[in-house]
Amino acid sequence: MRDATIQDFLNFNLIHKDLERYAQVDDVISEITALDREQQRLICDWSELIACSNRELAAYFFFMAPNASRHMDHQNFIAWIDLTITKFKKLGLDEAMVALKDFCKFSLSSIECYPSCQFDDVCRFLHYFVRGLGGREMRVISDQSTFTDTGTLFLPSSIDLFPFAELNYTLYKLTATHLWAQTRYGTWRYSVTKKLVENCLTEEKLAVFNRLECLRIDESVRRDFPGLYREFKALGDKDLAAREHWLQWRERAGILLEPGKTAEDSFFLIDDFMEFSLPPLKYYQGEMFVDKVYEVMRERIDREKTRFQSEWQTLRVHKDAAVGEEARQDPLEELIEVIKSDENKELSDLNIQITMEGAVSNISDSQQRLISSIFQDFDGIPEEYIKSIEISRSHQEEQSQIKSSNNSQDQDLNSHKLFKYHEWDFIQQRFRKDFCTLREFLIIPDDESFVHETLKKYGGLLKSIRKTFAGVLGETRLMRRQMDGDDIDLDAIIETYADAAHGLENREYIYTRYRNHNRNVAVMFMVDMSGSTLGWVNKAERESLVLLCEALEILGDRYAIFGFSGSGNNGCEVYRIKEFEQVYDQQVQRRISGIRPKSYTRMGTAIRHLGHLLNLTHARNKLLITLSDGRPEDCDNYKGRYGIEDTRHALMEMKQSGIHTFCITIDNQAQDYLPHMYGEANYTVIDEVQKLPQKVADIYRRLTT
Amino acid sequence: MAKPEIQTKQSFIIEEPYYESIADEIAVFSSAYRNRLPVLLKGPTGCGKTRFIEHMAWRLKRPLVTVACHDDLTTSDLVGRYLIKNGETVWIDGPLTSAVRNGSICYLDEIVEARKDTSVVIHSLCDNRRLLPIEKLGELLPAPAEFCLTISYNPGYQSVLKDLKQSTRQRFIALEFNYPNTNLERIIIEKETNCEINTACQLVKLGSMTRKLKGNGLEEGASTRLLINAAKLISDGILPVVATDTAVAQALTDDTEMLEAIHELSRSVF
Ligand SMILES: Nc1ncnc2c1ncn2[C@@H]1O[C@H](COP(=O)(O)OP(=O)(O)O)[C@@H](O)[C@H]1O
Ligand SMILES: [Mg+2]
Repeated sequence: MRDATIQDFLNFNLIHKDLERYAQVDDVISEITALDREQQRLICDWSELIACSNRELAAYFFFMAPNASRHMDHQNFIAWIDLTITKFKKLGLDEAMVALKDFCKFSLSSIECYPSCQFDDVCRFLHYFVRGLGGREMRVISDQSTFTDTGTLFLPSSIDLFPFAELNYTLYKLTATHLWAQTRYGTWRYSVTKKLVENCLTEEKLAVFNRLECLRIDESVRRDFPGLYREFKALGDKDLAAREHWLQWRERAGILLEPGKTAEDSFFLIDDFMEFSLPPLKYYQGEMFVDKVYEVMRERIDREKTRFQSEWQTLRVHKDAAVGEEARQDPLEELIEVIKSDENKELSDLNIQITMEGAVSNISDSQQRLISSIFQDFDGIPEEYIKSIEISRSHQEEQSQIKSSNNSQDQDLNSHKLFKYHEWDFIQQRFRKDFCTLREFLIIPDDESFVHETLKKYGGLLKSIRKTFAGVLGETRLMRRQMDGDDIDLDAIIETYADAAHGLENREYIYTRYRNHNRNVAVMFMVDMSGSTLGWVNKAERESLVLLCEALEILGDRYAIFGFSGSGNNGCEVYRIKEFEQVYDQQVQRRISGIRPKSYTRMGTAIRHLGHLLNLTHARNKLLITLSDGRPEDCDNYKGRYGIEDTRHALMEMKQSGIHTFCITIDNQAQDYLPHMYGEANYTVIDEVQKLPQKVADIYRRLTT
Repeated sequence: MAKPEIQTKQSFIIEEPYYESIADEIAVFSSAYRNRLPVLLKGPTGCGKTRFIEHMAWRLKRPLVTVACHDDLTTSDLVGRYLIKNGETVWIDGPLTSAVRNGSICYLDEIVEARKDTSVVIHSLCDNRRLLPIEKLGELLPAPAEFCLTISYNPGYQSVLKDLKQSTRQRFIALEFNYPNTNLERIIIEKETNCEINTACQLVKLGSMTRKLKGNGLEEGASTRLLINAAKLISDGILPVVATDTAVAQALTDDTEMLEAIHELSRSVF
C-alpha cells in the first residue's frame, strides 16, 4: 500500500487525530509500508473493526501493530487482538490499552484460556440477531455439522478456535450470518438447487461451488452490511497464506462480484475452477448438503403455494365484495402484480408490494413474510401460483351429505344437553343453518395427584408467578374520587367544597382507595382436546391449567375452563372442567387431571358455544382464550380453508358481541393462518411445549393489565 | 397527589411544523374538519401522530390544545371545576371546554389511558349534536364549526383493558398511521437532524431490523422518534454504535440477549 492510501484510510476512520498522540503519523506509516502486503491489509482490517467500537483503541492498535506483527506469528497476533477486545468489553479501555502495550509478554502458550463459547449461551442472541437481519424466519439449532437447509441454521455446539471468549462469540455470529446469507442471497434458489440435485455434483465440484458462492455472498454482505463484512475480512482466515489464496480466487472470480450475479453464475463457473487448488474453508463457512436443502424446500414450496393461493383468493373476494360484484372467475394472474421495491439500492430489503388491478393492496405482515419467503425460493412469484384455485362445490356437498346420514346422535339424546349452531360456508358466503350439533359432557375425573406433582415440579416458577400476579394487584394505584375508601382525596374535597360554596349539590366522591378485586374480568379457557395433543402437548396443557388456576385464584378473576373436540358436524363436544360459579377445589383438580385427547377440532362450533356461555356472565371485560396445538380440522370437509374461514367467522361473531379473543398455540406453522383468524395482535406462538406453563400465565397477565 | 399540569393556553402554531405526508391523510383530515367530523389517529408510538396534528393545526390556522391522557384523568380535569379564590368560587374551564369555546383543535393523546367515564363527555361532542355537557354549570355548550376533536390510540397493546370501546370508536373518522416507508423515513431523519444521508440510511435499516423482532422478543420495534434521537447523537460526534445502543436498544428493552442482538445488528450496518 502506498503512503497516501494509508493516510486516506486513517482519515476515513477518524483515527488520524488519536494516532498523533502516540507518534509522528508519517513514522507509523512508513513502518506499515515496510511490512508485506497481507500483513498491511490485516492491520488495516482490524484497525477499522476496532474503530467502530472505540477510535482511541484503534489508533493505539495501529501504532503498536507493526512492531507486534514482527514479533508474532499469525495465530499469536490474532490471539493478542482477541485478548485486547475481550479486555475492552469486560474491563474497559484502560485494560485493553495495557494488553496492547504488553505484546512482548504475550504468548499463546503461556496464557490461561477463557472457556470456549457454548451454543446454549448464544442461542437466544443468535435467534434474535438472525430474525433482525430479515428474510425468511429461520430456526437456529446446534448440530454435528455446520450447514443450512434453508429453514434452519445448524451450528456447532461450541466454538473454541480462539483462546478468548470474544472472538469465538463473534465467530458464532458470523457463521450464522453466512448460512443465513446463503438463503437470503439465493444460493439455494429453486432453479439452482434443482440443477445441483439433477447433476449429482461430485464432492469436489460441490466444494468449488461452496467457495464461489462464498465469494459472491460475501460481496452481497459487503453491500448490505458493511459492518459484518469488516468482520468477515478480519477473522475469516486461518493464516496469511489462506488469506492470499482466497484473494487469488477472488480476483479470478471477479465477475461474480458484480451486483446482480446469481448462484447460477457460480454454478456455470465450477468447471473453470476445477483446475485450481482449493483454499481452505473460511472459519465462518459451513458445509453444503444439497439433498437436505431440496427436501425442506419442496415441502415448503407445496405449503406456501397452497397458502398463497388461499390468501389471494380471499383478497380478491374481499375486493369483489367491496365493489359489489359477483365473485368473478377471471384468473388471478390478470389481477395481481408483484413489485419488489428496490429502487433504492442502499436500503435494499425484501419489501414487496402487491398491486391488484392497478391499485396497491394493503397486505398484512404475515402475507408480506409469505411472499418474501417465496421470493427467496424463486426470485418472484411463479406463474402457476397465480392461477385461480378451483374448489369443487359439488364435491363438498357430497361429503357433507354422507356425514349427516351418519346419524348416531340419537343414542344418548337425553343424558346430555344438546345445542344447535350454524356454520359459515365461505364458498357460498352464507351460513349453514343449525348445521352443527353440540353436546356438553362432564370430564371423567382422574386422580388429583397430578396436580400435586405439577405444583411440586414447578415450585419455583409458581412462586414467581404468584409474586407477579400479586404485583398486578399491588401495582394498581390509588383510585381517586371514590364513594368510599381508605383515605380522603384532597383535590376532591377542595372541589366539593367549592361546589358546595357555589350552592351546587354536594356529591360525595371524595375518597381514595386502592383498587383491587375490582378488575371485572371474566375469562373462558378453551382447551384443545383433539387427538393430536396426545402425549407432551396434553400434559403441558394440564400443567398450564394447574398453574393458571393458582394464579387466577390470586387475582380473583372469574374463570371457566372447557375442553373441546368431537367428530363430524353432528358430533361436536365440549367437556366441562370448571364453570364460572364453581370454586377451584379438588373436583376441578381431578377434572384437570382427567383431560385426555379425544378426536377432532371443529373449532368454530366450540367457539360459538363457549362464547355463548361467556356472554351469559356479567363482566365488563370478557375474554376467550384458546389453548391449541394446530389448525381447525374435522373428519369431514372441515379442513384447510373451510375450517379456517368458519373459525375466523366465529371469532368475528364473538368480537361483535363484545368478547375479546386470544389464541395461544404450539403449532409452529401457525403463522400461516393465525393472523388471518385472530388478527395480528391476538395470538402467540410458543416454540417449545415445555415453556407452555410459564408462558400461559405470563400472557394472561399481559392481556389483562 | 401532584397532578401533571394540563395545557389550557390556546396557542396558535406560527411556524410550519415539518411534516412529511405519507398518503392522503392531509386531504382526509381537512375534509373531516370541513365536515365537522371527529378524527381518530391510530398507530404505534413515535410514528408521527402528534407531529401530524400540529401540522394540521398550523394548516387550518386553529389553535391546538393537547391533553396527554393518564389513568387518573377525570371528567373535571377535561371539562373544568370550581375553585375558591378569596372566599369566592370561581369556575375554571378545563382544556376541552376552553377548546370548544375558542373553536380550537383538541387532541386527546392515548385516549384509552383515561378513566372510562371521560368517554361520556366526548360522546355527545362526537355526534351531530356537537354539544359539550358541563354538568356543574348546568350548561350544554355547543361547539362552533371551527372546533375539532381528535384522539389517538395505539392498537398494538394486547391488554383487553386498554381497548377502545366500539361505542366510542364508531363515532370517528379513523386515520391509520404507521412507520413511514424506508425512503420517506430516511428523508424525515435527514430533515429533522441534518445528519448525513448515509447515516440516515443506516438508521432506517436498523429500524426495520428491530421491527422484524416485534413479537419475537420485542414488544415494539424502534419508532421513527428513536431513530431521530440516535441521528442527533451521531451528528454530534458520538460513535454510531454507541448512539444506537443508548438511543435505540436501551430504549426498547432490558433483556441482555436482546440488547446484544440490537448492538450487533447496529454494528452490522454501520
Ligand atoms: N411523517 C413525518 N413527518 C415529519 N416528522 C415525522 C413524521 N413521522 C415521524 N416524525 C418524527 O418522529 C417524531 C415522533 O413523532 P410523534 O408525532 O411525536 O409520534 P406519536 O405522536 O405518533 O407518538 C417527531 O418528533 C418527528 O420528528
Ligand atoms: Mg405522541
